[in-house]
Amino acid sequence: MVPFACSARAGGLAEWVLMELQGEIEARYSTGLAGNLLGDLHYTTEGTPVLIVGHHILYGKIIHLEKPFAVLVKHTPGNQDCDELGHEIGTRYLVTALIKDKILFKTRPKPIITNVPKKV
Amino acid sequence: ELISCLPSPPPPGRGGTPRPGAAMKRTREEVDATLQIAKLNAAELLPAVHCLGFGPGASGAAAGDFCLLELEPTLCQQLEDGHSLVIRGDKDEQAVLCSKDKTYDLKIADTSNMLLFIPGCKTPDQLKKEDSHCNIIHTEIFGFSNNYWELRRCRPKLKKLKKLLMENPYEGPDSQKEKDSNSSKYTTEDLLDQIQASEEEIMTQLQVLNACEIGGYWRILEFDYEMKLLNHVTQLVDSESWSFSKVPLNTCLQELGPLEPEEMIEHCLKCYGKKYVDEGEVYFELDADKICRATAQMLLQNAVKFNLAEFQEVWQQSVPEGMITSLDQLKGLALVDRHSRPEIISLLKVDDLPEDNQERFNSLFSLREKWTEEDIAPYIQDLCGEKQTIGALLTKYSRSSMQNGVKVYNSRRPIS
Repeated sequence: MVPFACSARAGGLAEWVLMELQGEIEARYSTGLAGNLLGDLHYTTEGTPVLIVGHHILYGKIIHLEKPFAVLVKHTPGNQDCDELGHEIGTRYLVTALIKDKILFKTRPKPIITNVPKKV
Repeated sequence: ELISCLPSPPPPGRGGTPRPGAAMKRTREEVDATLQIAKLNAAELLPAVHCLGFGPGASGAAAGDFCLLELEPTLCQQLEDGHSLVIRGDKDEQAVLCSKDKTYDLKIADTSNMLLFIPGCKTPDQLKKEDSHCNIIHTEIFGFSNNYWELRRCRPKLKKLKKLLMENPYEGPDSQKEKDSNSSKYTTEDLLDQIQASEEEIMTQLQVLNACEIGGYWRILEFDYEMKLLNHVTQLVDSESWSFSKVPLNTCLQELGPLEPEEMIEHCLKCYGKKYVDEGEVYFELDADKICRATAQMLLQNAVKFNLAEFQEVWQQSVPEGMITSLDQLKGLALVDRHSRPEIISLLKVDDLPEDNQERFNSLFSLREKWTEEDIAPYIQDLCGEKQTIGALLTKYSRSSMQNGVKVYNSRRPIS
């Protein structure tokens, strides 16, 4: 058995945020999601998150997580990777970030209705 | 209202504009335009906006390149302090996660919602504290998932530890086995690789097993050899008329050194006593319960069962003078049958029983059909997790009834 080690990568742990949305996000075009815009995230002065995605507005809330998450990123080493004892390191998961807060959008999205210009 | 003089709104329905790195190019003007279309009042919003886009490498967790792990606050703190977590498990074992002192089962939890992981995203509190004049934050989403790993604290899987060490018990330095360099031996690292438990749990269990690190390898002592060492010590205590609570280490090593390696004598004292220092000298306080228990095991292992009364007599005579034997010392080691005539006692070691809950109960019920709580408790105590009690285990795995005014437990199903 080769144990998977999960350790913090050198340079410390970043803190990310989780955003939870209902349903799925689909890419409009077949090129997939990578590189594409999602939308604008605003906060009201009271701290309510407001997300504008396409033609929808979503209102959410910030939740401080009772149980934080760790984001583990798989790292498959190159041939030269060894630990302090000179043992070859196998595949491991590096804890890349911790997540302590999430933005939850639970309410139904409100469609943005754009007015059609009147014909004169 | 005419909208044609404003920049065109995002495409309807989905969040996808096929411009690479589009999130990076979105301007404040475009953001404000969108706010206007959305009929949101900028005055009610904090000045900063996060323009969210999917990073160039963004993908789903299904690809296996990353995953989300739910932590307890203490584990989170350990990670922040720089400690590692380890996932352990053979192909035929269920994977567990180990911190330096605890073991957890890993389970996937699915959610019907989409979880996006966003580096560099600030919460309103953070934004308010920052007081920067930046009002547009281009943010790349790292990836997304609709599941995560859940942790549930579990019992470390330690049965394998004894099994590995029993492949090659230590019988003393002169044994033929020690000359054979191919024999099965395990270092601490080897054990950490093979046992699904945290390092601290493994170290504790090694102590419970009276294991000894010899030449860099962990060895369990062959029982007869362990008794031989113990007998040397107790006989010396007797001939020197020492008190059991004040056995001097140096004299032991001096007197017994010619018979056995000094490290083994000291190991024996550590297993069967507690070390302390008095006026610069090292002494051991011998543990009468442990010594009586080991003596009982030595007597019981020679036959299937013994007449209880006879056993108690021989046992008391066999322990060092001054120590008092009691059946309480034998919990989890021996079983008394008070219904047979004559009453009998036999060896039954809890560590010889299966590790899995259901299998443990099956094996206990096949040994004896009905158990009182008092009799069965020592044989299921180790199954109690963080929140489970003996009572809860009995309720789950057995059925109770009354027999002669006493509550007894039997199997829920017929044992073949």
